[in-house]
Amino acid sequence: MTVNNTIAHQRLVLTGDRERFKELLRRRLIECGWRDQVRMLCRDVVKENESNNITFDMLAARVTPRARALVPDTVKKELLQKIKTHLLTQKDQ
Amino acid sequence: MNDNGCIHLNNFKAAKGTNPYKIVHAFFVACTSFEARRYKATSCLCFTCGMPGPRMHSCLHCIYFACYAGHIQDHSKTKKHFLYVDLSYGNIYCAQCQDYIYDRELTEIGVTHKLKEAKSLGISVPFMPWLPNPNEAMALRRLRKRRLISPHTTIGLRGLQNLGSTCFMNCIVQTLIHTPLLRDYFLGEKHKCKAQGSGKCLVCEVSKLFQEFYSGAKTPLTLHRLLHLIWTHARHLAGYEQQDAHEFFIATLDVLHRHCMNGVDENGEKKENGRCNCIIDQIFTGGLQSDVVCTSCHGVSTTIDPFWDISLDVAGPGSLAACLERFTRAEHLGSGAKIKCSNCRAYRESTKQLTLETLPIVASFHLKRFEHSSQIDRKINAFVSFPAELDMTPFMSSHRRAVDVGADNNNAPEGVCEDNRYSLFAVVNHVGSLDAGHYTAYVRQMKGSWFKCDDHMITRASLREVLDSEGYLLFYHKTVLEYECENS
Repeated sequence: MTVNNTIAHQRLVLTGDRERFKELLRRRLIECGWRDQVRMLCRDVVKENESNNITFDMLAARVTPRARALVPDTVKKELLQKIKTHLLTQKDQ
Repeated sequence: MNDNGCIHLNNFKAAKGTNPYKIVHAFFVACTSFEARRYKATSCLCFTCGMPGPRMHSCLHCIYFACYAGHIQDHSKTKKHFLYVDLSYGNIYCAQCQDYIYDRELTEIGVTHKLKEAKSLGISVPFMPWLPNPNEAMALRRLRKRRLISPHTTIGLRGLQNLGSTCFMNCIVQTLIHTPLLRDYFLGEKHKCKAQGSGKCLVCEVSKLFQEFYSGAKTPLTLHRLLHLIWTHARHLAGYEQQDAHEFFIATLDVLHRHCMNGVDENGEKKENGRCNCIIDQIFTGGLQSDVVCTSCHGVSTTIDPFWDISLDVAGPGSLAACLERFTRAEHLGSGAKIKCSNCRAYRESTKQLTLETLPIVASFHLKRFEHSSQIDRKINAFVSFPAELDMTPFMSSHRRAVDVGADNNNAPEGVCEDNRYSLFAVVNHVGSLDAGHYTAYVRQMKGSWFKCDDHMITRASLREVLDSEGYLLFYHKTVLEYECENS
């Protein structure tokens, strides 16, 4: 992360826009069923390892790659587009 | 998973209380104020490597910030500070148990902070998953029978016997049964009736009908009780001849709306603004704004009327969007239709524009395919295409105003809360001629899963088939439902 990126990040946190974007993303992921899909993935992993006590780190390591791949392109595109436009308008001010 | 934390966290709480967690959470997880956001923006960097991630944590013992890529673990080991808080979600990691642990008291603190944060940012209340209360949890443990909903399930689908030209009723019933929010209401047994068991309440009858549809039985149902109830309460529909499905739909909503008054608690109550708050009005009622502008003084007179559906002319436009565009276009009322302007105190020529002030959760469109005039009764078979997903924003009063003053629709995240997207979930079709016709319905049973309901016959259909059908009544459901803030 460059100095510029850090500043942009800090600004997003300060204005609350980072939280707003996160909320938008969270909503989109719930709407499109991603959240439920990931929940099912987690259940499967827990079931497979029923004998040994599975930890969060193990679960995250197993599920994250598949969960990332399941994020629909439309959601990624929308977020990217909105963040980009937002940062550009901020820059002008 | 249990929410009693672990022995290490309980010891920590006994020694230092919940304050350390409260402070870390309010400032660095869910910022409850602008000041908190300033702290988070400037100081939420790994003390070891200076990066803002990945997965920042804060030591609960000494508020040391570090990333999960090894630095928080290093700090924990060298200082023997075993508890640290994840700054994205607020979960607590116990290095002695080697996993995240959950504590009811701290979880509740987190939830209150999340609500405060949403308020401070002006965004709607974040999604909270349903958790059974003690009674519900007990009921779930007692009733072991579960019904698994697989992608190919046919649950919720049942044919309806034709009782002699009652296909108009059958297709409206199929539509109502497959209205997502109405289904949730009835399967949640939300209608608690004062007139229970009297056999006179249509809402109770529909409630029973939902149980029949979702019982898992496959034989077609006979709706004689329902038909009789509607005949009793909407006399103009009584008789054995074919009726108009649209008229039946509106009459059914009206009887349901009136019978909701039988309900105990929330059903009969009115909101402060005097508007009915029954489930029918909550789902189907929108507000239609009519602006009449005087051409000489440019004074505007605005009225807002409730509506349950929108009737659209089909001659001319080839798509639903075009029909709506024409419906909401400013129309010049000529010299033959002068209206008294309250400003000029005289009859003036004016323009009139209809826009949607508030949108209902279910948007119902009636394509006016039947033309009744003194000379001729005819059916208009004009092709009108309609989409599976519809954005209603362009037809809203607020949007039209913004267009008028030339404001550009910016992409700022503040605007994300206004979401006016709708998804098609039912289409009623009329086939045949005016006097010897037949009604069928397409209903969406689950996302992407469509069925054709032709009285007692239910067959699988493709979305293409639905979209290629002629369309008489089109039903759209709001894609995303907002959560209402309880204390607002």
